[in-house]
Amino acid sequence: MAVFNLKKREIECKIVYYGPGRCGKTTNLEYIFKAYKKQVEGEMVSINTEGDRTLFFDFLPMELGKIKGCDVRVQLFTVPGQVQYSSTRKLVLRGVDGIIFVADSLEVRREKNMLSLKDLQQNLKDYGLNIFKIPMILQYNKRDLADEGMPIMPIEKMEKDLNRQLKVPSFPGSAVKGDGVGVTLQECLKRTLHSLQKQFNWAQK
Amino acid sequence: MSKQIKSLLQQAELYRSQGLLREAKKKYKLVEELIAGSDKLPNKQKLLNGLSKKMEALNRDVENIEKAPTTPEMSAHVNELIKKLFSFSSKDKDAGNSALEGAIALAKFGQFEGALEEFEKLLNVKSQRLSAAKNILRCHLEMGDIETATEKLEKWQKGDLLVSEQIEKLTVFYDDILEKKGLKKEPVVEEASAETASQEEKFEEEEEFLDISAVAITFDSGPYKGEQVELDVSFQSGNVISLIISSKDEALIENLKVGVRLDDVHFYSPVAIFRGAGLVSAMTQIKSGPKKGDYSLDIKIESL
Repeated sequence: MAVFNLKKREIECKIVYYGPGRCGKTTNLEYIFKAYKKQVEGEMVSINTEGDRTLFFDFLPMELGKIKGCDVRVQLFTVPGQVQYSSTRKLVLRGVDGIIFVADSLEVRREKNMLSLKDLQQNLKDYGLNIFKIPMILQYNKRDLADEGMPIMPIEKMEKDLNRQLKVPSFPGSAVKGDGVGVTLQECLKRTLHSLQKQFNWAQK
Repeated sequence: MSKQIKSLLQQAELYRSQGLLREAKKKYKLVEELIAGSDKLPNKQKLLNGLSKKMEALNRDVENIEKAPTTPEMSAHVNELIKKLFSFSSKDKDAGNSALEGAIALAKFGQFEGALEEFEKLLNVKSQRLSAAKNILRCHLEMGDIETATEKLEKWQKGDLLVSEQIEKLTVFYDDILEKKGLKKEPVVEEASAETASQEEKFEEEEEFLDISAVAITFDSGPYKGEQVELDVSFQSGNVISLIISSKDEALIENLKVGVRLDDVHFYSPVAIFRGAGLVSAMTQIKSGPKKGDYSLDIKIESL
């Protein structure tokens, strides 16, 4: 849940990167950490286990500066994608204001993407949130692997699998190269702040 | 065939570099089957040996991942961060609850030693004492230490830190956990450890909300200023209650806009009436059915 300080005119919101294990959530954050140094407020914290798998979460605080007369701070989180960390995943999701669902474009990960989206829907529901109402963006990651001859899914197929009902903005991406990372985050921030405007009416007109 | 093998090996390596070890293993297996089934490959045995080494290395990676501790002890810095990031109550408004949430987060992330330190401190905070005591017992059980948990309970039962009603609740709570885990109060450390490791989500915060059947809201501004309005609750999910507002009551709709904080609300539950505060979190117009045109209003209970 975003924190809005009316006196100081500060708003702090929480964006969570969700998706199956090894889809590139942490890589997204690592790229943001490197590429948006000016906006990054402090260090990126990663709590990993063997094989660079996220164990608890990654955390990256950002300071976006003044937007419509309000200081905007953003906390970026990733959840652990591995199936066995379901309780941690749910805990990290608590208080979320916007979601970036990172889907793996590799053909072999098709089912994992769908299961993870279903898991997200259930976890949001448990918190009384509706997946159709929360600001959300899809990122189809690892598009670059097609150049290496790996079987990846066409965007149309991924749209049909994951976005047929949601109908949210989606972007192709290659987090290792930084492609699509910025635009995905920007669109999610735009939607999240818009949604928070409806709730808190924080922006000065 | 060598082209096909090369392509499959390339895919396997790429999956491996992506950390997709099971997918890599499947590709290696396919290559193994292809090589084993072929009579034409001149260096068949050499290829199979090379492949076997790759698969052994892959199996070691899988094993290392599976054996890695799921709740390693974190640094003090990380524990502080966990407490800060996962306590959702305002530190200024409700320091006790905020500290409790932080301690529960530590426990949920498996940082039991750190969590125990925090819960012990919270025993000194009157409003959090019972929750802290419950979570101390839970932590010890999670650590497989039923003996210490039982000792602690017995100490509280004999002492005067908790009032008799709290002791009663705590005892029921403890017996209930033991029963669910199939444990006895005697020290059975090994069994406890095995049992607890497979469980999830035991550190539930004190979030069990009472059923609220109606509310009475006193307005401090707007057309209803100074008046108390009673409304029935049509649905409740956790700490969010839904009310139906007639479309004819324009003044009330005007008063209850999304984001409005309601500082004086009486919540009627089957056991008692509680005074608290809420936040109007949503308002949607009903599109069909007998209440068509009326409004469904969600109020998030902020304190009770």
